Amino acid sequence: MGGVELLQFALAGLKNGAIYALVALGFTLVYAATGAINFAQGEFYMLGGMLSVWAYAGLGLPLPVAGLVGVALTAVVGGVFEFLAVRPRKDGDLLAIIIITVGGSMVLSSAARHLFGPLEKALPAFSGTGTVSIFGAVLEIQSLWILGLTTLAVLALWYLYNRTSLGRAMRACAVNRDAARLVGIDPRKIVTVSFVLAAALGALAGLAVTPLTQTAFDVGPSVGIKGFAAAILGGLGNPIAAVAGGIVLGMLESLSIAFISSTYKDAIALVVLLGVLFWRPQGIFGASRREKV
Amino acid sequence: MAGARGHFALLVALLVAIAVVPVSGCATDAGPGDDGATDNGEAATGEPYRIGAVLSLSGTLAGLGEPERNTILMEVERINEAGGVNGRPIEVLIEDDASDAETAVAVTSRLIERENVVALIGATGTGGTMAMRQEVDRAGLVQVSVAGGTVITADFHPYVFQTPWSNSIVVPFTLAYLQDQGISRIALIADSGGFAKDGVDVMKDHLGDFDVEIVAEESFNPGDADMTSQLTKIRATDAEAVVLWNAGAEAATVAKNMAALNFDIPLFGSHGNARVEFIEGAGDAAEGFRFAAGKVLVPEAYGEGTPEYEVATDFIERYTERFGKAPDTFAGHAYDALYLIVEAMQRLPEEFTSADLRDEIEATSGFVGIGGTFTFSPTDHNGMTEDNLVMYDIRDGEWILAE
Repeated sequence: MGGVELLQFALAGLKNGAIYALVALGFTLVYAATGAINFAQGEFYMLGGMLSVWAYAGLGLPLPVAGLVGVALTAVVGGVFEFLAVRPRKDGDLLAIIIITVGGSMVLSSAARHLFGPLEKALPAFSGTGTVSIFGAVLEIQSLWILGLTTLAVLALWYLYNRTSLGRAMRACAVNRDAARLVGIDPRKIVTVSFVLAAALGALAGLAVTPLTQTAFDVGPSVGIKGFAAAILGGLGNPIAAVAGGIVLGMLESLSIAFISSTYKDAIALVVLLGVLFWRPQGIFGASRREKV
Repeated sequence: MAGARGHFALLVALLVAIAVVPVSGCATDAGPGDDGATDNGEAATGEPYRIGAVLSLSGTLAGLGEPERNTILMEVERINEAGGVNGRPIEVLIEDDASDAETAVAVTSRLIERENVVALIGATGTGGTMAMRQEVDRAGLVQVSVAGGTVITADFHPYVFQTPWSNSIVVPFTLAYLQDQGISRIALIADSGGFAKDGVDVMKDHLGDFDVEIVAEESFNPGDADMTSQLTKIRATDAEAVVLWNAGAEAATVAKNMAALNFDIPLFGSHGNARVEFIEGAGDAAEGFRFAAGKVLVPEAYGEGTPEYEVATDFIERYTERFGKAPDTFAGHAYDALYLIVEAMQRLPEEFTSADLRDEIEATSGFVGIGGTFTFSPTDHNGMTEDNLVMYDIRDGEWILAE
């Protein structure tokens, strides 16, 4: 195997990894705020693509505006979903919230099926279907968009967490809800904000990927599982770890194809995931959360 | 965060659970009976003959189930306006199986026990079709499937018929075309679904008959966003063509990834890619994509003025007028299934048994449908031959007949 091929495998892994990372970020945000896994995260990815296609092809808006509309509407859906379905469960019981999000994912995909039909839909690439050559390996320009948007999302989240009072309140909630409430933070507000942001991030991923893959009402669950695996692999609750987990997962899959077999790529990735979790249950990059008694 | 390890066990359990959700979850989408067609014609009167149809109106196969339902609704009206069957109208009860085999069994059972149907159309998918067999067998009813899996008629059942060209016809046709083009080394890329697996198995069985060998074999999963890695492996081989076998949206991704990697060998597909969504999704990358399918996409292929041409253009015209777009091959499979049953019923006396209907359908000879001209025999319940296929080529975003 030549160096160019190896680089090509690495680029493919990076591209898939960036997609997983964007979805994983959504899992991480909701986990930090509630301690629960939001299984509707994949549906936010689906809605980002579907609503953008609707705004672009259905309403005839220019692509950048249509993309913003798609992401914004999905963020609203995320907020409304939290308000109507998650918030009424006042005791914050984790299992109940998880089941609610599973139910929510079914409702969202069924709604999309009825509103937009069963067929897959296409969206043009943001800036042409060209490619760039990197030492002989090629990457679609659209993949550069995906990588760029992932980087941007991470930077924005870092800024939010470290430089704004809202972000500090979110971190405080993640560390200790009750203590946060004692210092005047409303955890319910933080949960809503987390769902809105998670929905926006999922939608951003769906929007960026749709020009490469098309989208349909049923694309959510498979992407959701990959994003979930990436979040766990990296370490739940930490945005940088989620991104790293996504990249590692994407690379693992690509290298499995390169050196072993494409038939077993998902199985190999899952075995590595389980292995890592036996070794470090908090994820590769997750901070240890050992209980102090 | 209390009990992080306990939560982790819960998460792993859910990771497993969620894998099942997309399939079973869609069952809530449309309740049974939502789509029961009750179009009673005016021309035909009396107690209707009831036919059950198990179609995938939600779930992964919904893109196939929708044109199938459209076709059945439209043609039932037409049949009843023209007098129905022996002066009695027909009624087709359409049930959604949510692309799920278990649901297909449940709705089939309901159609048989509660609705007393005389025959069954479906299912849309091969998995659903095979799962229905236990019910069909128990009730001794005729089943005409609109799914393409070779197993449906290869695993022979006297009461089961199938309208799409199965892989066992399309694969040899495609291999023969490749051989004619002077292509002897192919790289195969297929998804992990039933249709693709079946196609790959049939291809391996037939390789000995042709001067074609498989030099690389790669796979992907439905829902994968990128096949660059698989194609990079293929590019490192001396393959002279890439052959793709799948029936999902990922076909467009494969075509686009190949274009991005500057492949200089052609891409061939299957009848699973005979959908306009593929062209929309792949855009420029669809140029030169070749696949074998029936003649309905370019009716001139039937030969202008032939009975096949008249039947197909009439159907295409009516379908396009009513639904605003041309019918695809799946619409044609439903058309054929419905008329194979109805025309056999029309040849029978007013009262008939399931065995009579089975015998009459099996006696069908030279029925001109959309998928082709059907002639069944006691050993062939597909009734199609390679003569019903043509090779298509995508040029300027349109299907044309390949040279």
